[in-house]
Amino acid sequence: MLAAIAWRNVWRNRRRTLIAAASVFTAMVLSLFMLSMKQGSLYQMIAAGVNQVGNLQIHDTGYWENKSLDRAFFEHGQFNPVFKSIPEITRVVPHLQTFSLASYGKQTKGIVISGIDPRLEDQQSGLSRKIIDGHYLSGRDEVLIGELMATYLKMNVGDSIVLLGQGYRGITAYGIYKVAGIFNLPSREMNSNLLYMGLKDAQDFVYPYEKGLLTGYSIYLKDGTQEMPIKKQLEKQLGKKYEIISWRTILSDMLQTISVGKISNQVFVLILYLIAAFGIFSTVLMMTIEKRKEYAIMIALGMQRGRLVWVSVVETIIVSIVGVLAALTVMVPLLTYMHFHPVQVSGEMAKIYVLYNLEPIMPFLASPELFLSQAAIILGLSFFSAVYPILYILKFNVLNAYRH
Amino acid sequence: MSIIKAEGIYKTYNETHVPVNALNGVDLQIEQGEFTAIVGPSGSGKTTLLNIIGGLDLPSKGNIFIEQTNLKDLSSKQLIDFRLHHIGFVFQAYNLIPVLTAKENTEFIMVLQKRPKKEREEKVKELLEAVGIGDKANHRPGQLSGGQQQRVAVARALASQPKYIIADEPTANLDSKSTHELLDLMADMNKKYQTTFIFATHDQRVMDKARRIVTLDDGKITSDETFDR
Repeated sequence: MLAAIAWRNVWRNRRRTLIAAASVFTAMVLSLFMLSMKQGSLYQMIAAGVNQVGNLQIHDTGYWENKSLDRAFFEHGQFNPVFKSIPEITRVVPHLQTFSLASYGKQTKGIVISGIDPRLEDQQSGLSRKIIDGHYLSGRDEVLIGELMATYLKMNVGDSIVLLGQGYRGITAYGIYKVAGIFNLPSREMNSNLLYMGLKDAQDFVYPYEKGLLTGYSIYLKDGTQEMPIKKQLEKQLGKKYEIISWRTILSDMLQTISVGKISNQVFVLILYLIAAFGIFSTVLMMTIEKRKEYAIMIALGMQRGRLVWVSVVETIIVSIVGVLAALTVMVPLLTYMHFHPVQVSGEMAKIYVLYNLEPIMPFLASPELFLSQAAIILGLSFFSAVYPILYILKFNVLNAYRH
Repeated sequence: MSIIKAEGIYKTYNETHVPVNALNGVDLQIEQGEFTAIVGPSGSGKTTLLNIIGGLDLPSKGNIFIEQTNLKDLSSKQLIDFRLHHIGFVFQAYNLIPVLTAKENTEFIMVLQKRPKKEREEKVKELLEAVGIGDKANHRPGQLSGGQQQRVAVARALASQPKYIIADEPTANLDSKSTHELLDLMADMNKKYQTTFIFATHDQRVMDKARRIVTLDDGKITSDETFDR
């Protein structure tokens, strides 16, 4: 019967209840739309980042802290059985990275050399699509340089670049390579400082006396959620000589930027929810004031204040649930549709997306966690809105309320 | 045997700068089965005395015993529980719960008392028939006349099987016909269930029905008469 009283009380003033529910509905619709869009974009960014660096990377222990060529290791087939024993690994991309001086004519600058397997790298990151002049790596003694590096060194496709640096175990590394192509990546720093060459060329450049020198492997997984168990498995199988680094560590700067973005989203959502909370609160406040005399009568008749608090809290929750259910009824199908049919980005914006290695779409996230978390926040706010009637019911003077 | 015993009751309100003495040493005993009216001019202390007898308020000084229980010894929660099981209320403005039907309003107290559903249903049926609105059991208060609402209020008060019923100006909002019907009803209930009724009233028609009239003036009992009716 107490639940019936709560339910019927809510609908005593139908219009007021619907207005309060509408404020919940509006706040939830806006926040769900915004969060779905923002989180969809974040997941897209993260996916692109992981696509670039791998879910995990294997290095010689200590390389991540001190990226010196002295921390490189030789690959003599010892990794293949390990990789094959883990079916979740879909792709392994080796790389060798080092630093060098690059010179052309009278210009010289310090650069990063990235030795890559041209075929694997292109399959993974689509590097060939970033070439704006010339062609992708197709033979020995060829390199790709960034657009800004080409400008600085005053080089064109077909010119020869001189590289001079320190090789493995203190030898001097040097060589002359032909610029096969000029690329444009989203990062200014990469465009200015990065040079790609074939893995074999890079290995010969830093240490021509023994084959198979690498600074690391990028490991790609079928299912990203399996990252931690596979990291542990690799650590166990490879031992302490190698370190296994997660993409979360490698892309920590990006994750930090994302978390700052998340905070600004949360502030916006908080403002929306405060509006909804005030909508609920004002309704609850009016309901409480209106029913002062009824409360007094119920307590006079013998109803404990605690049971009256229960009725009042249920009333508040019902108002919120009406708004939440209405919002979910609209947004679950809408966002699910948009998740599977994302908005296509076109024109200049699409080019920027491609440049950043992103698919030119505006993705929406439609996960149960998103819907449930927002519903839980609204219900939490309802409890918060119910604090006033709870305090009022626990403290008010029955005779005064009855008289007035 | 006295079911209510008020000893040296004083009540002072300090809500304004000037303290107001609503009761100034009231001694009163009420026996089981009485049909008593407390009368007096406005401000004489009738409602204050009724509130204290009804456990809604406590005296500033003096003691109020309901059988062996001194209400001053009870905590706020115990007092609410005491009212639930021992005291019935009929208010001037009926004060039914507007979202509940006549049947549910009558059942409400028994729900609070956690009595079994079957017992509640039988009791509600019996009481609504007894107060003459069995055919309107599913009507909400807004669909009933003032007299009918007050009958439901009487049924609700009786539903808890109280030791006594406090009725504060129960006829003030009723027309003459409804007043007579209600008074006859309460007199019948008084006889049928041996329930004690205590009224605060200005209404001569209530006084004409009462078998005992206690007159208050300036917070003191100025007369206490019994009648053989």
